Amino acid sequence: MQVYKAFFKVILKNRTQILIYLVVFMALALILSGAYNPPQDTDFTKVKVNIAFINDDGDSQLVAGLKTYLGENANLVAIPDDTKKLQDALFFRQVEYILRVPAGFTEDMLNGKEVQLEKTTVPDSTSNIYMDLLINKYLNTVKTYTTYLPGLSQDELSQNLEKDLAEQSEVTMISNGTHSIYAEKSGYYFNYLSYSLFAILILGVCSVMLVFNDTDLKRRNLCSPIRSANMNMQMVLGNISFAILTWLVLISASFIMYGSFMFTATGLLLLLNSFVFTLAVLSISYLIGNLVKSRGAMSAIANVFALGTSFISGVFVPQELLGANVLTIASFTPTYWYVKANNEITAAVSFNTDNLSSIFTSMVLVLAFGVAVLGVTLVLIKQRRVES
Amino acid sequence: MFLFNYRYRLKCIFKDRQLIFWTFMFPILLATLFNLAFANLSSSDNFKKVNVAVVQNGELDQNPAFIQALDGADNLFVVKYTTQDEAAVLLSDHDIDGYITFDPDLNLVVNQSGLNQTIIRGFLDDFKQSSATIITIITQNPSALDNGILEGISSRTEYLKAVSANQSNPDPVVNYFYTLIAMTCLYGGFLGVKEVVAIQADLSDVGARINLAPTNKLTVFLASIMAATTVQLLELLILLAFIIGVLGISFGDQLGYIALTCAVGSLTGVTFGTCIAAIIKKGEGLKIGILIGSTMIMCFLAGMMSADIKYTVMTKAPILGYLNPANLITDSFYALYYYNTHTQFFTDILLLCGFTLLFSSVTYFVLRRQKYASL
Repeated sequence: MQVYKAFFKVILKNRTQILIYLVVFMALALILSGAYNPPQDTDFTKVKVNIAFINDDGDSQLVAGLKTYLGENANLVAIPDDTKKLQDALFFRQVEYILRVPAGFTEDMLNGKEVQLEKTTVPDSTSNIYMDLLINKYLNTVKTYTTYLPGLSQDELSQNLEKDLAEQSEVTMISNGTHSIYAEKSGYYFNYLSYSLFAILILGVCSVMLVFNDTDLKRRNLCSPIRSANMNMQMVLGNISFAILTWLVLISASFIMYGSFMFTATGLLLLLNSFVFTLAVLSISYLIGNLVKSRGAMSAIANVFALGTSFISGVFVPQELLGANVLTIASFTPTYWYVKANNEITAAVSFNTDNLSSIFTSMVLVLAFGVAVLGVTLVLIKQRRVES
Repeated sequence: MFLFNYRYRLKCIFKDRQLIFWTFMFPILLATLFNLAFANLSSSDNFKKVNVAVVQNGELDQNPAFIQALDGADNLFVVKYTTQDEAAVLLSDHDIDGYITFDPDLNLVVNQSGLNQTIIRGFLDDFKQSSATIITIITQNPSALDNGILEGISSRTEYLKAVSANQSNPDPVVNYFYTLIAMTCLYGGFLGVKEVVAIQADLSDVGARINLAPTNKLTVFLASIMAATTVQLLELLILLAFIIGVLGISFGDQLGYIALTCAVGSLTGVTFGTCIAAIIKKGEGLKIGILIGSTMIMCFLAGMMSADIKYTVMTKAPILGYLNPANLITDSFYALYYYNTHTQFFTDILLLCGFTLLFSSVTYFVLRRQKYASL
């Protein structure tokens, strides 16, 4: 097994480069699963938009009432009344709506004069429409009261508003069965895994291939007393063990983070899907390993492949946010089908023939990619041997 | 002699395919990928009419006021009138966000909590609340009914007017492209490292040869740095033209200031590289590793992986933002794009110049008068 051992010696020599991608992945996985908490869909909860409320008018019951009303229906974010800070908050979506109550608002409003509040928003956004609806509702109710019951004191007005606006309609939530909180989180984890897997396998396999394909070394190996078939067999074994080892390391953290969830149908399907994907990536790495000529080209190609496929296939940005053209291009990469299967596995509440057949179709396609690329590589190797 | 060196350093840089890939092709590729991936990101917030179904039954017919109100809200909703079963199917197929049914009270049926569902609910609440208001008023002032309270309720007054405090659309996606340019500027450090390696006798044979020549080392080095900066600036301007012209990302319209930022950013990047190469005495691999690592950390803090990071740094630890060249470059573009004033922009540019000065002086004091007993 000298060849097999040599394979891993070369890998060990390149451990720094490979470890970087492992560390990047683990950091991403930890940050993401810590930060992301999917909503629990058992009861209906209002979505609250983040808004900034700035009052240039004096303290009046009317303004206080509006603020309380908005506080119940939106998140009031405290931001100092400073143009630059407000602009920054809006740009980075810390708030999506800035409402400014002008001076003299209460008096004008109660006297039925025309008055307007200033809003600064993300133009055309859904949150903008929703907040407009809420604020106009409140102020129109005030107007109705002041028009038809002109003698009302501010006290009575606030009481009436509070009573009326407490009216709520019934909401029935149809729950599609329980969905584990881990489902979506693990989906992210396995999607991100494709990035590191690509980078690590390309770097690992290429660095070995670069060594073994070196002309002098190859000639020396060919005159050794080991049969060429035996040598090739050991190389194949080395490649496969390296791929499986990488896969095992990458999935290991999922067991720590999601525990027994990984043994449910969803978890097992995710594992199977990632394993199939590993084989396809190995095959692509093997092709690249036989094409590159220098270590510089190797890291360039590893980066281009890992980043490129991840960006267009929905690893970094969800597939539903990508344009149709992008997805069409992406469907020529195995990553697209891998991510698609992952998304379907984690979205499914229960598995039936419909979604299972779609999931397995994706897996078969990924496998077919692997086989096709392997075929091309073998032809390429054969051709080179004939030429030389 | 200066021009001779300058010309040959230019040739050396352009012949280095790997260097050109990382400092030029890679940023262009990343920009393309950013554009492909983020194209729909900002428009995903855009309001699209909410699809709702209303179940047709006897109770609905007894509430003509509700149908009238719903018709009046055609800027919010696309309404379908269906049977109960159809509505349930539409909902489970995600063709509608929810359906409204009277059984006999007003009821909203949804299968998830989202902003669209909240809007439907807000509308229904609004309807119930208006009814409550009318009842309260009529009990105290029955004549209101004759004075058109019902019409008054349905004709809403618009109480909001949009004011824009800034000159451009608040679109966080542009920040990703600004950080990408910052990354490209700092990747100019690769050129800086290459130039230092080429002039130091203990790092390369070329360096040893140059040190033998009876030329002032500073003159030679200045020619090298000029060549590196020229290439870097050229690459940066092509990248900028690509991002603005081909990808259509907005940088505002102050082209002069944008060019100034690029020039200062290039110098900062190249001197950053020379500084690292001068301080780190170990091999070229380590120098490059540290260059990439520190650039990535700085770009991460400037919001390259998530724009929220930049905001967090801005509000929680502003000093960290001012000590980070990548953030200063990003922030300059951001200020030009978004702010009405130039205070922030000039602060950033001055700090960048400060960093450039610091990096070049460190390089100068480390490189000068080095003598070797043996090589």
